[in-house]
Amino acid sequence: MLQVDKITKIFASGDTKVTAVKDVTFTVPAGQFASIIGRSGSGKSTLLSILGALEKPTSGSIVVDDKDVAKLHDHALIKYRGQKIGFIFQNYNLVPNLTAIENVMLPMEYAKVSKKERLERAKKLLTQVGLEDDQQQRKPGRLSGGQQQRVAIARALANKPKLILADEPTGNLDSQTGKMIFDLLHGLAKTENTTILAVTHDLSIAGKTDKTFKLNDGVLTEE
Amino acid sequence: MNVVTRGIRNAFRNTIRTFSIVVILGLSIALALSMLIARQAVGDKINSVKSSVGNTVSVSPAGYNAMSDANNALTTSDLASIKTISHVSSVTENLTGRLTTEGATAMVGPGGQSDSNATTSLKSAVNLNSVNKEGGDGPKIMINGSSTLPSNFSLPVSILGTTDPLHPNGNDVTIKSGKAIDGSKDANQAMVSTAMASKNNLKVGSTFTAYGETLTVAGIFDSGTQAGNDIVVVSLATLQRLSDQSGVVSAAQVTVDSADNLSSVTSAVKSKLGSSADVQSAQEEAENTIKPLKNIQTISMYSLIGAVIAGSVIILLTMIMIVRERRREIGVVKAIGASNISIMSQFMIEAVTLTVLGSVIGIAAGVIAGNPITKLLVDNSTSSSTGMGAGPGRGAFRSISHSVNNISASVGWDIILYGLAAAIIIAVIGSSIASFFIAKVRPAEVMRAE
Repeated sequence: MLQVDKITKIFASGDTKVTAVKDVTFTVPAGQFASIIGRSGSGKSTLLSILGALEKPTSGSIVVDDKDVAKLHDHALIKYRGQKIGFIFQNYNLVPNLTAIENVMLPMEYAKVSKKERLERAKKLLTQVGLEDDQQQRKPGRLSGGQQQRVAIARALANKPKLILADEPTGNLDSQTGKMIFDLLHGLAKTENTTILAVTHDLSIAGKTDKTFKLNDGVLTEE
Repeated sequence: MNVVTRGIRNAFRNTIRTFSIVVILGLSIALALSMLIARQAVGDKINSVKSSVGNTVSVSPAGYNAMSDANNALTTSDLASIKTISHVSSVTENLTGRLTTEGATAMVGPGGQSDSNATTSLKSAVNLNSVNKEGGDGPKIMINGSSTLPSNFSLPVSILGTTDPLHPNGNDVTIKSGKAIDGSKDANQAMVSTAMASKNNLKVGSTFTAYGETLTVAGIFDSGTQAGNDIVVVSLATLQRLSDQSGVVSAAQVTVDSADNLSSVTSAVKSKLGSSADVQSAQEEAENTIKPLKNIQTISMYSLIGAVIAGSVIILLTMIMIVRERRREIGVVKAIGASNISIMSQFMIEAVTLTVLGSVIGIAAGVIAGNPITKLLVDNSTSSSTGMGAGPGRGAFRSISHSVNNISASVGWDIILYGLAAAIIIAVIGSSIASFFIAKVRPAEVMRAE
């Protein structure tokens, strides 16, 4: 479960202060797929960074798996990012000189999972997202956009995270592939009992999620 | 795949860039290694020259020039005073002369002999090269304005009067037949070299003439050098009498009981003889001889430092460039749970891989180029700074000077291991600075910049 309570983020540049996220409060139960929609500059990416412990909030609390993320120190934050959070990016952001399976194994290596276990799990996840054996051995450059995003989803699931944060996961895909990826995420939320929070511009996709939030100038409202 | 494998694989991510970096780094390491080899070879040579220096002090008349007849002279009474200096074991006194072969055309010029009595029945043991003969196209000896040698031309014969016939000019000689003459007695006895004996059909007991008197061959010796074998050795008193230079000495060699006392004895001799003599210890001569080598040591040290700095800068800039280029990737792996240390380790291994590859090329090139570069440095440096070494009693010094050029650089495993260790340190330092930039990468900023 994801519980966000009165999160505020203020960026200061000299004398100028910009409030990117203001008093954001919401809850997404485990196994649910929620989406956030909003215009560019509305604070969506900042909110995602705060939830992913990439950025510290100015105030407020984020509770994931009964732990207040805002209170974790640096070392614990690295562990939290590696084991409790899964990231999916619009541009996939796979490591280019690693094969698909090596990309999926990477977060497990950082989480100190044994080599045998990470190989088995990576294979299982890639098969689960629909990547065939020979495609699993290819480097990202030799995979299509949809296949790369599948690898990114498998990588996000590698350490069995409690929360998956997806930033425009279908933004670079055609509508048919986008729909397939959405269906995949939706199914995984149920089967893996993982909370998924996706930022999207695509209202048709947002409309199909369990919960939809709208972010406008840093202020969040539930649709 | 672990961090080591990933680091090594990343080093080959861009083949052309990797090749370029490795070659440049290899050249820098080769230069550093060559300088290290040169420095060590020169250092060994300096130590060898220093250890081979004897405990002697050479004394010659002030401004003595072996190429001229117009020289000041020392006297036996001058030298008697230095025999009383403490720690002086012995003083060898020498007088040199030059004899013209009877019936031959004398060579006039530097060192030419004008005394009509200074003749001998002997011929020089040295054969002139063909270039000096009529029709030759090489350098010519000018005889009375003509470059063509007269048929009766013969090189002059050097005669040495000494108090120590077994060490003429400071070099040891080996008696091949007969016996050594007594350097303290005035007798018409002489020692000739094997080469001169052969040229003039002399045996022990044979006679020849010099300065109008008949001398008997008492012994035949071999000095081991051509110059040392083109000489007739008589006692000092004999040559002083024959050449009508009573009490005159052209050079002396003072032997000190210990090398530790060399400096104090040199000062005492200088003090006793004042401005009438040039006094130089073997140590001073050796110092002068090895001065160019010390210059090479300095040059190689600076070049070594320069090459190491260049290598470090290459690796540093390369790693900074790579880190900047992979900023997004660093942000992403941080976001998926990588710590700064694991990312830094990966980049360090990448830097070490590049450096080790550069080292392989550098060490191979350095090993090949080390010896020629050392020889080139020594030849250029010593040829511009060593003189003719003229003067009597300088044979030992000439051999030191000659041995300085005879340098050989060898590459031991210790040098290679030092070089490799230095290269790895360079890589670690170079990449650790780049690591600072890795630590500064904030994943949130990278994500925002998407």
